Amino acid sequence: MYGLGLVKGLMVTAKNLVLPSRMMTVQYPNRKVGLLGLSKATGVPLPKLLLKDPITSVKSLLGMAEVKESLPQHPRFRGEEFSWYEQRCTGCASCAKYCPLGIIEIVTSESGDQMQEGQKYHLDKFDIDIGRCMFCGLCVEACPYDALHMGSGFEEGTYRRQDLVIDKRKLVSAKKTPSTWFRPQLASKKYDPHKGKNVKWDGAGRHEKPSLEQQQEKWAKR
Amino acid sequence: MTEILILRSGFDFNGIYGFFDEFMPDSLDWLVFLITSLILAIVIINAVVLSTALLTWFERRLLGRFQSRLGPNRWGPFGLLQPIADLVSLLTKEDTIPEGADKPIFTLAPIVFLAPALIVFSVIPLHGGSFLGNLNVGLIFVIAITSINTLAVFMAGWSSLNKYAMFGAMRAVAMLISYEIPMGITVVAVALVAQTLGLSDVVLAQDIPYILVMPLAFLVFITAASAEMSRTPFDLIESDSELGAGYHTEYSGAKFALLQLTEFMAPIIVAALVTTLFLSGWRGYGPIPGPVWFVIKTFIVLFGFVWIRASWPRLRVDQIMGLAWKGLLPLSIINLFVVAIEVFIFNPGENGLSTTDLWIMTGVNWGVTIIAIFAIFNLLGQSKSERPVPVISPLANMYANTNTVKKITDLAEAE
Amino acid sequence: METDTAFIIDVVFWIIAVCTIFSAIAVVFLRDVFRSALFLVVTFIGVAGMFLLLRAEFLAMVQILLYVGAIAVLILFAVVLTRDVEQGSPFNGYIAPALVISGLILAGVIFVIINTDWNMTSGEIGSEELTFAFSETNIVGNIAELLIKKYVLAFEAVSIVLLGAVIGALAIVRRR
Repeated sequence: MYGLGLVKGLMVTAKNLVLPSRMMTVQYPNRKVGLLGLSKATGVPLPKLLLKDPITSVKSLLGMAEVKESLPQHPRFRGEEFSWYEQRCTGCASCAKYCPLGIIEIVTSESGDQMQEGQKYHLDKFDIDIGRCMFCGLCVEACPYDALHMGSGFEEGTYRRQDLVIDKRKLVSAKKTPSTWFRPQLASKKYDPHKGKNVKWDGAGRHEKPSLEQQQEKWAKR
Repeated sequence: MTEILILRSGFDFNGIYGFFDEFMPDSLDWLVFLITSLILAIVIINAVVLSTALLTWFERRLLGRFQSRLGPNRWGPFGLLQPIADLVSLLTKEDTIPEGADKPIFTLAPIVFLAPALIVFSVIPLHGGSFLGNLNVGLIFVIAITSINTLAVFMAGWSSLNKYAMFGAMRAVAMLISYEIPMGITVVAVALVAQTLGLSDVVLAQDIPYILVMPLAFLVFITAASAEMSRTPFDLIESDSELGAGYHTEYSGAKFALLQLTEFMAPIIVAALVTTLFLSGWRGYGPIPGPVWFVIKTFIVLFGFVWIRASWPRLRVDQIMGLAWKGLLPLSIINLFVVAIEVFIFNPGENGLSTTDLWIMTGVNWGVTIIAIFAIFNLLGQSKSERPVPVISPLANMYANTNTVKKITDLAEAE
Repeated sequence: METDTAFIIDVVFWIIAVCTIFSAIAVVFLRDVFRSALFLVVTFIGVAGMFLLLRAEFLAMVQILLYVGAIAVLILFAVVLTRDVEQGSPFNGYIAPALVISGLILAGVIFVIINTDWNMTSGEIGSEELTFAFSETNIVGNIAELLIKKYVLAFEAVSIVLLGAVIGALAIVRRR
């Protein structure tokens, strides 16, 4: 039958036009909303919205109101900012040794005069250059103390290339939402870093530092 | 749009002329004529260019929705300021001319492209008469003026000094002149049924819209006009992956803005023409005024054009030429013959064909349409080539059934 | 409106006439072949303007449709496909005979123009056919009747010429 294929083609695009399930655009970072979308996104019911904020309501009728939207990521997504727990890090620099690009710079010094086994080094410098990082996660795989985790975000753009080097101060003061990549203890707790809850240092690791009795027993049996 | 408000007041040539004529002395009649023409020219050009800008927005949004994405919605309410952003970006680009190219012809080509598009809009009837009154050879005027853009394409391609632009221009011109013929013959058929050549009279004669009376003419005209506008599925000229960008490879900046303007003006003009010739123009029901009906019908035709652009793939150049000469030309001639025979049988007098005659023609023509399409595409379509039976290549498995396999296995067993 | 704007019609006539003649001269004397083809297009449009001034709108539109839309494209195709076309068309040595012959033709045409009675509706040229053809209503129908009834031989001869051209084109491009 002549022309049937043409009509079928037209129907495919007509379905794209009409069915709402075919609209696949994620409007990142700001999503344009209408009036109903605005009330659903802000959680404010419609009449109160009209009274409280008439300007935004009018803007939403014109299609000019915006609501923040982010791309949903998997919990194992290897993000840009790293989650580093200072309390767990011993300064062993395994991460720096494993990094294939050599962008982690660690300078340690002895803490105390005679260091014992089980004591940590004092970290003078811990820099990661995320301008060159490829986010392979080998440093995270290498850390024996689960101190370094991959981050979960991707909005680390800066205006200068030098600002892309994260130094120790920034790592310490950042929000710790580690990705569950290569950390099965976090995945088994069904932790989702994108829900925004932080993880404290004692919940982030597999192994814990042995207590003094356990250490003495180990030395005794050696 | 602006033309609706203006036309409510009977704003046509005689109206404005009479208005000015009252308070100017008789010897200055040429000045009145000049003022009237200037006012009408400003109104037409403004209306058409604003509609073109609106069409770019409409097409991009709608094309996006057809492709499961949103069109531009960032600038202004619903993205309505996007055409202005496009315009600013085009006008601030550097206006290059290739060194050694023919400068006057290079600069003139977009202008020669744009001028016919603006002129054609002045004879389309929006309400009663058109802007230029009732031009009694309106149909031929339209066909003649739209055939000038072949010259502009040639000028653009030749003066670019770029052999790929030249190839693109020659292919484009071949396509354009091939599709003028079915378009012209279809228009002649419409003129036969309407018993007149003027566009306003064609609208008045459509007691039944001609899309029902002559469906074959409608299909042929839509296809031929799509090719004239170089619109998908015939847009091999501007397909981005072939031949650079065709005849407008070397254009940038303001000249390219003019070319794009004309390219988007063409669907509006063709949609207005289709509405006038086939969908009974400004005639409609009830309290909705005529120009609004015209705009609604044009909008529906434009929606159809955008839908087709979003859905159908592009034709190759040999398929395009085959469709024109082997498909559309016989169909339009068949349509002309059948319509001519019917008009001869009914033998209309001064008042044209009556409604009953038109209904009879409708019935006959639908049958003729289906038979003609089947017949022509069966006889003259591309013959299906035989798929060759695949022969297994002797190289497919080199060592199968050879002595080498046996030797290897024997050696392995020996060890 | 007609009698009041006789002055402006004269002005328009002179403008169109000067443009047409100027572009016709440019066709002959320009060196660049493409540009002379484009000036030929301007000449065609000028002639169409003359038809409009003579109140023959149908002929003006058909002139634009055929000459500008088809014949000019054909000439441009021929220009583009010519080898070494960038060198242009130089003057050859035949200027003196060309001037003589064109002067003779010009004299003959002027003689004919001066001695013709241009009264359209009566007199020698004006016969019933032209009155009939230039009536205000149904110009197209009357021209068609003339073509089919009185000048049918010329009409059919032209169509045979076209058929010969199409067959010739097919014969040239036929694959062996």
